[in-house]
Amino acid sequence: MSPWLRQHRFALGAALSTVRKAPGSFLFNVLVVAFALMLPLAGITLLDNVRPLSEQLSVDPEISVFMKLDATREDASALQPRLRAIAAGGGKAEVEFIPREKALAAMKESSSLGDVIDTLGENPLPDSFKMRLDGSGAAGQVDAITEQLRALPGVDVVQVDSIWVKRLAAALNVLRLALLLLAVTLGIVVIAVVFNTIRLQVLTQKEEIAVSKLLGATDNFIHRPFYYTGALLGLCAGVVALGAVVLALRPLNGAIADFARLYASEFQLAPLGALETAGVLAISAGLGLIGAMLSVQRHLARVR
Amino acid sequence: MIEFQSVSKQYSTDAYALRDVSLNIGKGELVYLAGPSGAGKSTLMKMVAAVERPTSGVVTVNGQDIGRITKAGIPFLRRNLGLIFQQQRLLNDRNILGNVMLPLLVTGAPKAQAEQRARAALDKVGLLERARAMPLELSGGEQQRVAVARAIVNRPQIILADEPTANLDRVAADKVLDALRAFHAVGVTCVISTHDEQVLDSAAARVIRLEQGRLVGGVA
Repeated sequence: MSPWLRQHRFALGAALSTVRKAPGSFLFNVLVVAFALMLPLAGITLLDNVRPLSEQLSVDPEISVFMKLDATREDASALQPRLRAIAAGGGKAEVEFIPREKALAAMKESSSLGDVIDTLGENPLPDSFKMRLDGSGAAGQVDAITEQLRALPGVDVVQVDSIWVKRLAAALNVLRLALLLLAVTLGIVVIAVVFNTIRLQVLTQKEEIAVSKLLGATDNFIHRPFYYTGALLGLCAGVVALGAVVLALRPLNGAIADFARLYASEFQLAPLGALETAGVLAISAGLGLIGAMLSVQRHLARVR
Repeated sequence: MIEFQSVSKQYSTDAYALRDVSLNIGKGELVYLAGPSGAGKSTLMKMVAAVERPTSGVVTVNGQDIGRITKAGIPFLRRNLGLIFQQQRLLNDRNILGNVMLPLLVTGAPKAQAEQRARAALDKVGLLERARAMPLELSGGEQQRVAVARAIVNRPQIILADEPTANLDRVAADKVLDALRAFHAVGVTCVISTHDEQVLDSAAARVIRLEQGRLVGGVA
């Protein structure tokens, strides 16, 4: 084994030995740090679950233009160039004509109402156009475009489809920012807790540190066990916090399943994936390490 | 091996621990530092171990200028020194063997090798059978012999013993001094500070006397 590896093994052993000597104190500190980590972790889990949903939904303004039922296919065809011109006024845009037959077929396919629709006999759906505007350019002009479209002959209803998606996206952005601020604040709390824990350890091991220095120990040799203790504290707290969030998801998912069923959805909150979990554990261990480093720099210099 | 050139140590305007001290201790020499409490013996020892730096003058140990040694260089200087303190300073959270292994572990020595050498060191001071005992289970004399074992376990070139026989009865003190003399006999430079005149009377070695921070005799 290389001397470098041996020194790290020794430091890890010393850190574990410190934990073994006062397991209650270590556990208490782990719980304090875990509580601080739980809230942002729960928020990250929620965001991680909601984000794919919001990404599937287009945030570009989408406008559906429904023709009157008595409008002919020729009326619709004649309207198409004018629609393109109006849409182009707001920047880049796509205009798709959806014949009533295609709309009916799509409706049958996407819902479980096929049998009911068949009983109607006649197709109750009108011809329609779907216009997708470029989000960045046209977002502010949606209202003006809608007004122009309503004034066109043969147009029955104009419906803006994606406003709620934009609102959801905006709400998620606010939530993400709030979570970031919360995570930063609680990250500082974690660092402070570890800082104080290590400070107490330095005081407890003052004599050992002083004697080790006199016997030729380098600063690195003395600092390393404290670094390992801090990182270990952060890591254990991360595991506890993740475990608590996973446990909390079980009853929550029961309630969510009941709610989602009302909307023919099977949405469930899933725990963080392997990569995200590894990231969270690395961050919590890192916060512990930072707390330990700050504490060691501050307090060990005073031990002679 | 140890050289002081006009060394003074001043803690405040009128508080001198050492005043203009010049001395030379050669390789393999046994030297007693004598003087009453407050004479400056401990300060002189601390300077050799780079615990204190001189206010003026030059202290050289193994060719290294203590006044200029870097913070990172101090641990490596100390690995060539065996330090023995008046209050032993054994760590009470580990057994005797663990205490004696410590100077080797801090250098990154493998644990098995450290244990083997610590056992050999304990054997030399007659305490191998107490290797698993805790420090507080030993008498003061035994604790001081453990401190001697800890000082010699990394085979230092210099042993600095600061009042190693203070607080010990005559029999225990003799055992500690015998152990130190045994290491001197195999070529280790030993500096022993004491204010015990009985020890000095029986010392067949150079005695350097200090009073109020000044050298008053024994300089060669």
